[in-house]
Amino acid sequence: MTELLMFREQIKTFYKRYEVFILPVVKFVFAFLVLNVLNSRIGYMSRLDNIAIVLIASLLCSFLPVQTVVAFAAIFSLLHMYALSLETVLVGLVVYMVIFLLFLRFSTGESVVLLVTTLLCLIKIPYAVPIVMGLVGTPISALAIGCGVVVYYLLKTITGEAANIATMGDEEMMTKIRLLVDGLLDNKAMLVLIAAFTITLIVVYLIRRMSIDHAWTMAITAGAIVDILVLLIGDLIYNTNVSVVNAILGTIVAVIVAKVVEFFRFCVDYSRTEKVQFEDDEYYYYVKAVPKMTVTAPTKTVKKINTASRPGGNVQAHRTGGSAQTHRTGVQNRSTVERTYTEGHPHASAAQRPVSRRSSVPADSREHLSGARSMTINSHMTENTTNNEEELL
Amino acid sequence: MTHMASYEKNEGKKNMAVGKFFRSDYITIQMLKAILSATIVYGACFAVYILYQFEDFMENIYNMDLIGFAKNVLLYYAVTVIVYTLISYVVCSVRYTKAQKNLKSYYQSLKKLGSLYEE
Repeated sequence: MTELLMFREQIKTFYKRYEVFILPVVKFVFAFLVLNVLNSRIGYMSRLDNIAIVLIASLLCSFLPVQTVVAFAAIFSLLHMYALSLETVLVGLVVYMVIFLLFLRFSTGESVVLLVTTLLCLIKIPYAVPIVMGLVGTPISALAIGCGVVVYYLLKTITGEAANIATMGDEEMMTKIRLLVDGLLDNKAMLVLIAAFTITLIVVYLIRRMSIDHAWTMAITAGAIVDILVLLIGDLIYNTNVSVVNAILGTIVAVIVAKVVEFFRFCVDYSRTEKVQFEDDEYYYYVKAVPKMTVTAPTKTVKKINTASRPGGNVQAHRTGGSAQTHRTGVQNRSTVERTYTEGHPHASAAQRPVSRRSSVPADSREHLSGARSMTINSHMTENTTNNEEELL
Repeated sequence: MTHMASYEKNEGKKNMAVGKFFRSDYITIQMLKAILSATIVYGACFAVYILYQFEDFMENIYNMDLIGFAKNVLLYYAVTVIVYTLISYVVCSVRYTKAQKNLKSYYQSLKKLGSLYEE
């Protein structure tokens, strides 16, 4: 477990350090994936199904807010619909207008959830979305997930009826619209999936907020069971032809994804739970405090020590290309400065060592600053160089 | 200080955009937007409905009660707009109250920070 926690801390540190570069790359990959999936599933406009256009759009998305990906996805899908027929784009436009003007007007941030839901539905693994959003989001996310499912079924209806629509002439405009509207509104599978995802999200959200041990794990398990149950009940009632094997496998993948999210967002040690009571002038407080499992990430600092030899001070040493590496590890907020390994001439005696510019300061209080940390080199360190180790406090 | 900087960068932006209005102004603007959105959506849906029912509509246009039909259309429109505007009102009221509360806490922290610098 400690290794996993250290790995998590390393990832966090890495992300914090390179956030400026990671975020655009993630947005680029996300946009590229979304646009490519759209092109492969509904690529009716051959001019859009071009890697150069996708790359340019993805590059634009990488530097703009993440909602731009949603906008590009909507534009791409509408253009593909337009290539199929004018009626298709009309129906698509109305569906998008309803979604964006009525639902996503309140929370534009949720539009990404909508897109992720549609994307995962298109690649047949949507079951992770309600569980994960129940863990990290709010019940409002159910709206975005529902809209995502609607968009997926719109695209599915269009691809399903594309052959019929393509063969129909311009005089059959009403028939095309009826085909699409009926395909969307009479779709029981869509309603069952929306109901399953909404109920799952609410169940996960309610359980994970409870003040019980292992609330998140219980929420994930309950959510997975509820998801499968609702899908099966829906299948029994409406005969939606849900693939049970796919649903179970998808839910297992969803549980694994949710456990990973839990590891990063809610890693606590229930064995050290404390219950405390206190009061102020107005209230009594009954508090349950569960400590987070934290580990100080191991860091490696390469410290350059002057290579130029200078006389001065009461100790002289010689170290060509000398450097010191400080490894720092700690578990549960306890950090330990362990060793300093010298390189260069391991057998150099203390008498040969050049004294740094700060040698006019007494050796006991000499401090070397490296980034945010300070290290004090004690006088006895210079005497231990024959053992090829120095101790830093 | 870090918390405040993080707030300013993320949630604070939205809250400040809300907080610069008086409550009544903010809610009025949002309700007007809601009415406009509901009208556009209703119009689009009505257009699709007409196209969907176009053949039946054209067949029965001389027999149907056009005034009754228009009344129904207007009634559905009014219900849609009223329901959506009410939902918007509730959402915007809650959002404004939350934003004000967060901004109050943020400004208190700013004041505290200012006094620390003065010392």
